[in-house]
Amino acid sequence: MQVEYLSAFNVVLGVLARFWPVWIALALVMGASFGYKKKLGLYGQLFDSGVGIVGVGICLFWLFTAIFASTVAPFDPLAQVPIMKDALPGAIDPQSGLAYLFGGDKLARDVFSRMVYGSQIVLIIAPAATGFALMVGITLGLPAGYYGGRIDTVLSFLANLVLAFPVILLFYLLVTPGIMDTPIPYAMAGLFFLFPIIFFSVLFWTRYKNRPDRLYILLGLTLVVGGWIYAGLVFDADPFKIIHIDPNQLNIFVAVVFASSPGVFRIVRGLVMDIKTRDYVAAAQTRGESPWYIMLWEILPNARGPLIVEACLRIGYTTILLGTLGYFGLGLAPESPDWGTAIKDASRLLRSFIHPALPPTIALMSFVLGLNLLADSLREQSMKD
Amino acid sequence: MNEAVRNPAKPTNGPIIEIENLSISFFTRKGEIPAVMDFSCTVMPGEAMGIVGESGCGKSTVSLGIMRDLSNIGRIVGGKIKFQGKDMGELSDEELRAIRGNKIAMIYQEPMASLNPAMKVGQQLMEVPLIHDKVSKDEAYKRALDMVRAVKLPDPERMMRSYPHQLSGGQQQRIVIAMALLSKPALLLLDEPTTALDVTVEAGIVDLVKGLGEKFGTSMIFVSHNLGLILETCDRITVMYSGEAVETGKIKDVFDRMRHPYTQGLFRSIPLPGADKNSRPLISIPGQLPLPHERPKGCNFGPRCHHFVEGVCNAAEIPMIAVEGHDGHFSRCVRFNEIDWEALPPGAKKVNERVVPGAPVLQIEDLRKYYKVGGSEVFGSSEGRVVKANETISFMARESETVAIVGESGCGKSTLAKVLLGLETASSGRVKLGNKEIQSTGIEKRSVDTVSSIQMVFQNPFDTLNPSHSVGSQIIRTLEKFNVGNTVADRRKRMLELLDLVKLPRAFETRKPRQLSGGQKQRIGVARAFAGDAKVVVADEPVSALDVSVQAAVTELLMDIQRKNKTTMLFISHDLSVVRYIADRVVVMYLGYIVEQGTTDQIFSPPYHPYTEALLSAIPIADTSVVKRHIVLEGDIPSAMNPPSGCPFQTRCGYKKLVPDNLCETKVPPVKHLGDGHMSLCWLADDVLAKMEPVIKFDKEHAALEGVPDDAPHGTGPGFAGDPPKRPHGKTGSAEADAEGQVAENGEAVAKARRHEVRDEVSETGGISSSANSASAPIMPQTVGDGRQAEKATRKPRKRKGD
Repeated sequence: MQVEYLSAFNVVLGVLARFWPVWIALALVMGASFGYKKKLGLYGQLFDSGVGIVGVGICLFWLFTAIFASTVAPFDPLAQVPIMKDALPGAIDPQSGLAYLFGGDKLARDVFSRMVYGSQIVLIIAPAATGFALMVGITLGLPAGYYGGRIDTVLSFLANLVLAFPVILLFYLLVTPGIMDTPIPYAMAGLFFLFPIIFFSVLFWTRYKNRPDRLYILLGLTLVVGGWIYAGLVFDADPFKIIHIDPNQLNIFVAVVFASSPGVFRIVRGLVMDIKTRDYVAAAQTRGESPWYIMLWEILPNARGPLIVEACLRIGYTTILLGTLGYFGLGLAPESPDWGTAIKDASRLLRSFIHPALPPTIALMSFVLGLNLLADSLREQSMKD
Repeated sequence: MNEAVRNPAKPTNGPIIEIENLSISFFTRKGEIPAVMDFSCTVMPGEAMGIVGESGCGKSTVSLGIMRDLSNIGRIVGGKIKFQGKDMGELSDEELRAIRGNKIAMIYQEPMASLNPAMKVGQQLMEVPLIHDKVSKDEAYKRALDMVRAVKLPDPERMMRSYPHQLSGGQQQRIVIAMALLSKPALLLLDEPTTALDVTVEAGIVDLVKGLGEKFGTSMIFVSHNLGLILETCDRITVMYSGEAVETGKIKDVFDRMRHPYTQGLFRSIPLPGADKNSRPLISIPGQLPLPHERPKGCNFGPRCHHFVEGVCNAAEIPMIAVEGHDGHFSRCVRFNEIDWEALPPGAKKVNERVVPGAPVLQIEDLRKYYKVGGSEVFGSSEGRVVKANETISFMARESETVAIVGESGCGKSTLAKVLLGLETASSGRVKLGNKEIQSTGIEKRSVDTVSSIQMVFQNPFDTLNPSHSVGSQIIRTLEKFNVGNTVADRRKRMLELLDLVKLPRAFETRKPRQLSGGQKQRIGVARAFAGDAKVVVADEPVSALDVSVQAAVTELLMDIQRKNKTTMLFISHDLSVVRYIADRVVVMYLGYIVEQGTTDQIFSPPYHPYTEALLSAIPIADTSVVKRHIVLEGDIPSAMNPPSGCPFQTRCGYKKLVPDNLCETKVPPVKHLGDGHMSLCWLADDVLAKMEPVIKFDKEHAALEGVPDDAPHGTGPGFAGDPPKRPHGKTGSAEADAEGQVAENGEAVAKARRHEVRDEVSETGGISSSANSASAPIMPQTVGDGRQAEKATRKPRKRKGD
């Protein structure tokens, strides 16, 4: 059976057309943001510079791609159509009549669909892992910077220890099947996922200690929601069966949090050491505020600028890290459509077929570039005030 | 003086710089923002022009405009700058580069920022002749060394070998000045050159700058917010307001017969000698500086001016109008001939009853605070030095009394505040608040009651409020912490009352601190301190970072609330003018010791502690009628890490030789009781103390005797304008100055004494008097009478009658 091909122009048109839900969502969100940019604070100011618009655009593009992946992708990312093995871009699947827009890979899967679905994995794990890393880094960085002295020495030493350890080796150790059978990943998950609950409990406790009406509601909410997610993630014991994470992904998650949090810790520590010399901190001390109130309510809000930038950059690093993990075949299932795995698969045949390698590479690059541009322009805009 | 420093720039008879109708704008996202409009001034060779104004008035932009060093968003949109007859606008970049740093040199506020921290001072200085004059290295070194000597730095060879961080702030600024002078500039721009320095160090720099015009023929443009400094250093002055020059003229004309309401407002809002918090309170300028894009039509000062007349002041843009009878005196006011310059703004005249202090609220006995430094945290090394931040501090403050704590940086006043507030605990001694001993209770262990009864107002208004929370929520949080009110609604009500108390609109509740001006922020800081009905409020330089006109308003507010609440206030400051105005009693600190304490009158009149005397002399007073004895301290404040032996002040004290047996260097002096609670930490004998002369000749009792009512006419001379009734005019000063001059003629100059350069052409009475060897003469080491005011006295003989 002869496979028919689309022309290059039709391939481009076809790709643009497949993304139609993404374009609509993008137009709506960007249009609305642009129209109301005066009222949107820092986010609105991003639309004042070209770099900011491009950064936001790229990030939103991948976000919507992940959300609408099932509509955008013409094929199941795991489905194999034997005839399409190593097919060139634009090949038309004779059964469904749909085109393999970016061609097929060596296992005859649609490269385009795999790239689109790959964004889902990245956009779930990278921001979430960064979020947890931020929580851990902030919760430990605040006291280290604020108290200084022995606490600082010990915590900084631990952070340096983790940072000094080769990251790849660390992942080999953490994400190998042998380790996965031991309780170590679960113990670490149990530890790391505790931090957000501690963080928010302390946050509300220090602020509303004297106002029981608010305190109990907020604390209760934190504990119930936190406990629920905690049970689901760590023990896989969600009573409603909504929150569930693969042991594989949990493992990666824990490894990424473990590797990123020392970086966040250092930044938070430095910021706190700077901000704690301000008069408003002294003013809080002289009215008898507790140290944790000062850290969480007086210091942390003023560190938010650099932290937001840091979060953006760190999501980028994490994306690259996930790519690296996939490339080494660590953690994720061999058939998973994530970008790193796809690059690895394609790299083996790079001499004969280059087309399966390009889409995931460009996807990864553009997403990280978008995040970096976003971080850049956030930093620039927050400096302007 | 050698060749390197003698030869001034090309001698010209025309003006060095002529600025004609200069306008500078900044172009931002929001469009064009005019920063300077229609600014004109002329500086002749050897002349010093002062530019004075509040922050945001465009005075620094003018100096940057002269250098053509506006950032990429700033542009000169109109007018001309002619430098030595050449229009700078027509010069190429190349030619401008040759002028910058060579013929025009600039000195900035922060000396450390002007020096390259990675290069030795000598290298940096040598660069100037190497680049501009293309001389040999040896020649450059020689010139640099001579210049270091010329700016009176000790041990020049060592200075040349040091890195900038190894020098103190004052020494750094001297190096910067030396660097600027090395290229023999025709024009020197000084942008707040002493603002970052301590008062006594500032006095030294001012002394140096003052002589430059005569010595090197350099013209100067001196930008400052401090009228007193301008008076001491300049020949002419330009007052700027909201991007415009509003008044310009000779120092004497502008200071004594100002013809613009803004200038008058400035003078009325600074605590000159004669202002008194009870009988003659300061008069602040209402309102705020208009934002650059919200300037009113016509007179920019109109909305804040109590002489404003609808249809006259806001009819058209106002040009500079010449004031008849004065050479080169211009004012940007259309009504200056109609205005009654004696009239006080409505509602400004109020007399407060003198507050009688009550029972002691705060008692401090023999307080000491030592810090250990240097020991390692992890390995617990025992090798650490002890820094004695506070030594044997004893004083007491009574109810509704204001006690000022005066001293320069590093004197331990902030440590004392920390101990009082519980941020640190005392090493030994006692602090009693009411009947409770609080010296060893840290803030966490203090009861809510104790915490709320001793509160603080902080120095930096931009730092005192958390930028992330709204103003209302910050006050409410304080109330919550102090257990004021039971419900949220209660506290909100109380918060609104507090906003009323500090005279801010209630709408500020929801504002973020960045939407407030410095003065408004400081008011919120005051509201917060008084939220829990504090018994003691520690005010740490609460107004020093504010603009002059705002300072007066915040100071008055603080005192109003204090009066109402019968609060005890500890007013920490380095500015003795403010202290004299606000304080009932004064505590002077130096290197952790209290060197002198007593009532305000006792501190400001002899006998002085030698340090207090120097401090008094160092303060620039913006009043042409004040005669100051000129005392410049040698060197810098020693580091608390390595204090001198014996008396803490002995390294800089000019009286040391009058104490026998080298006691000053070996033993800490005993506290000397001078009667009525006046105490001094000094070895000087009673007879020496008794012979001390007042530093500032100013006769308060005399003024009171005359009983001049505020609104009575005072046309006793051409110098009378503005608010002379508020400050007695050098009645005693002139006679003394004459006497000093005579003594000086036969007396021999002390080696260290500096000759005060007399600026005023009329008076020649400046002289040097040394009394180390003549028992009859008044004791004034390194002292020179300031001749400036003598002239005033000859003009107004009537005023001298009461001496």
